[in-house]
Amino acid sequence: MQALTKYRHVFLVGLQSNLVYRWNFLIRGFFSLARLAVVFILWGAAYAGVAQIGGYSIGQTFTYFTALIALQFMIGAFNEDYQIGEEIRNGLINQFLLKPINYYLYRFTVFLAARVVSGALVFVPLVVIFPLLRSHLTLPGELWRPLLLVPALLLAALLQFTLAFCFGLLAFWFLEIQGFVILSFAAETLLSGQIFPLDLLPPSLFHFAQLLPFYYMMYFPAAILTGRIDLPAALHGFVAQAGWVLLFAIAARFIWLSGLRKHTAVGG
Amino acid sequence: MVRTMMFRFDFFLWSAVELAWMSVNVLLVEVIYRHTDSLAGWNKYEMLLLVGTSMLIQRLLMGFFWSNLFEMGRNVRTGAFDFYLAQPGNPLFMVSTRKLDPDGLANSVVAAAVVYYAAHRLGLHPGVSGVLLYMALLACGLVIHYSLFLLTTSLTFWIIKTEGIEGSYFTVVDFSRLPREAFHGFANVLMVYLLPAVIVSNVPAITLIRGFRPVYALWLGAASVAWLSLAVFVFNRGLKRYASASS
Repeated sequence: MQALTKYRHVFLVGLQSNLVYRWNFLIRGFFSLARLAVVFILWGAAYAGVAQIGGYSIGQTFTYFTALIALQFMIGAFNEDYQIGEEIRNGLINQFLLKPINYYLYRFTVFLAARVVSGALVFVPLVVIFPLLRSHLTLPGELWRPLLLVPALLLAALLQFTLAFCFGLLAFWFLEIQGFVILSFAAETLLSGQIFPLDLLPPSLFHFAQLLPFYYMMYFPAAILTGRIDLPAALHGFVAQAGWVLLFAIAARFIWLSGLRKHTAVGG
Repeated sequence: MVRTMMFRFDFFLWSAVELAWMSVNVLLVEVIYRHTDSLAGWNKYEMLLLVGTSMLIQRLLMGFFWSNLFEMGRNVRTGAFDFYLAQPGNPLFMVSTRKLDPDGLANSVVAAAVVYYAAHRLGLHPGVSGVLLYMALLACGLVIHYSLFLLTTSLTFWIIKTEGIEGSYFTVVDFSRLPREAFHGFANVLMVYLLPAVIVSNVPAITLIRGFRPVYALWLGAASVAWLSLAVFVFNRGLKRYASASS
C-alpha cells in the first residue's frame, strides 16, 4: 500500500513535468500529420489500379497508418533511453540508489505519466483533421478487438519501455549511447511495422518478423485494432508478447545489476 | 576529418545507423512493388532511382553542411556564435563550411550505389554528358536542401528555443521520396509548386531516366536560386537581429 502511494506521487510529479512539454508533444503530433500525408500519397498511388494490397483495401491501410500515429504517442518510448543514460552519466542515478525506490519502477511510472500526456495530446491534431480523415477510415466492428487492445497496448508499452531502459543502462559502459539507440530505433521502426504493415512482407520474412520482439511493440496492437489479425492468432500472440515482456524484464534486471557493479567500481 | 577519425568506433556505428535507414527505404520500395507494378507511372527501378537520388542529396547535405548548421542553431542560443562573427570572412561561409562529416560522405557513396544499381537495372546509359547533367541537377537539389535547412535554423535568431525545428526540414524532405505524379490537389500545389520538396529529387531522377527536359532543369535551377536568395536574406536579417540583441 505504501509502495503504491510512493509511485502514485512519482506518477503525479511525472504528469506535471511532462505537461511542461505539452507544446513539444503537440508540435510533434502535427509533424506526424505531415508524415501521414506522405503515407497517404504514397499508398494512394500504390492503390491506383489495384483494389486490394495484401488482401486489404485502401481504407484499411489508411486506418492502419492513422492508428499507428495514435499508438505511438500512447505507448512509444520517445527519449526514455536518453534520459536514463543522462542520469547515469551525470551521477543523478546515485540519489536513487540511496532511496527506498526501485529505479525501474520509478522510471516506468514516469514513462506512464509521459504517455498519458502525449497520448491525450495526439488526439488534438487527429481531431483537427478528422473531417478529412473520416471517409478514409474503416474500423472492424468485432467487440473483442477493443477489449484485447487494452492488454496488448499495456504489454507493448512495457516492451518498448524495457528495451529503452536497457539501452539507457548501456551508459554504464559507454560514454555515448545515441548511436545504439538510433540503430535499434531503425530496426524497431521497420520490424514493428511502422514503415509498412508487416503482413505485406513475403510470408517467410513475415514469419521471421513474428519471432522478434519488435513485432509485439507496435504491429501487434495495431493489427488487433485495425483488423489485420484474427482472434486465435491474437490470443496466440499474447502468449508470445507476455513471454517477451518476461524475457526483457529479466535482461533489464541483469544489465542493471552488472551495470551497478561497474558503477560502484568506478565510483568507489 | 582527423577529428572525427579519432572516434572510429563512432564512425562505424553511425555509418551502420545510416545504412540501416537507407535499407529501410529500399525495403519499402521492394515491399510496395511486390503488390503493384507501377506507382504513379513509375516502375520499381525508376522508383528506386528516385529514392536513391533523394537519399543522395540528403546525405550530401549531411556530409557537408548538416552538423555545421545544426551547431549554428545551438551557438546562437548559447552566444558562442560571437566566435564566428569575430572571424574575418563571410559569417555564413564560415558557419557552413567549418567541418566535414565523414559519415555523411561515406553514406553518399552508398546512396550513389543505389542510384547506380537502379540505373543499371533500367538499362540506362546516360553517357558523360548525361551524368554531368544529373550531377549538376543534384547540385541544385543540394543548394535547395541547404537553403531549406538554413531557413529553419535561422529561425533560431527569432525564436530562441528551436529544438525540434529541424523536424520541419525532415518533414519537407520526406515528400521528396515520392514521385511527382502521385500528388494531387492541395498537396500538389503545396509540395510541388510552392515548396521545392518534390522537384528536388524528381527532376534529377526523371532527367536520368527519360532524358533532358529544359523546362524541368530550368525550373529546378530557378528554384535553387530563389530559395538560396531567400535563405541568405533571412539569415542576414537574423544576423542583424543577433548583433543588436547581444550588444
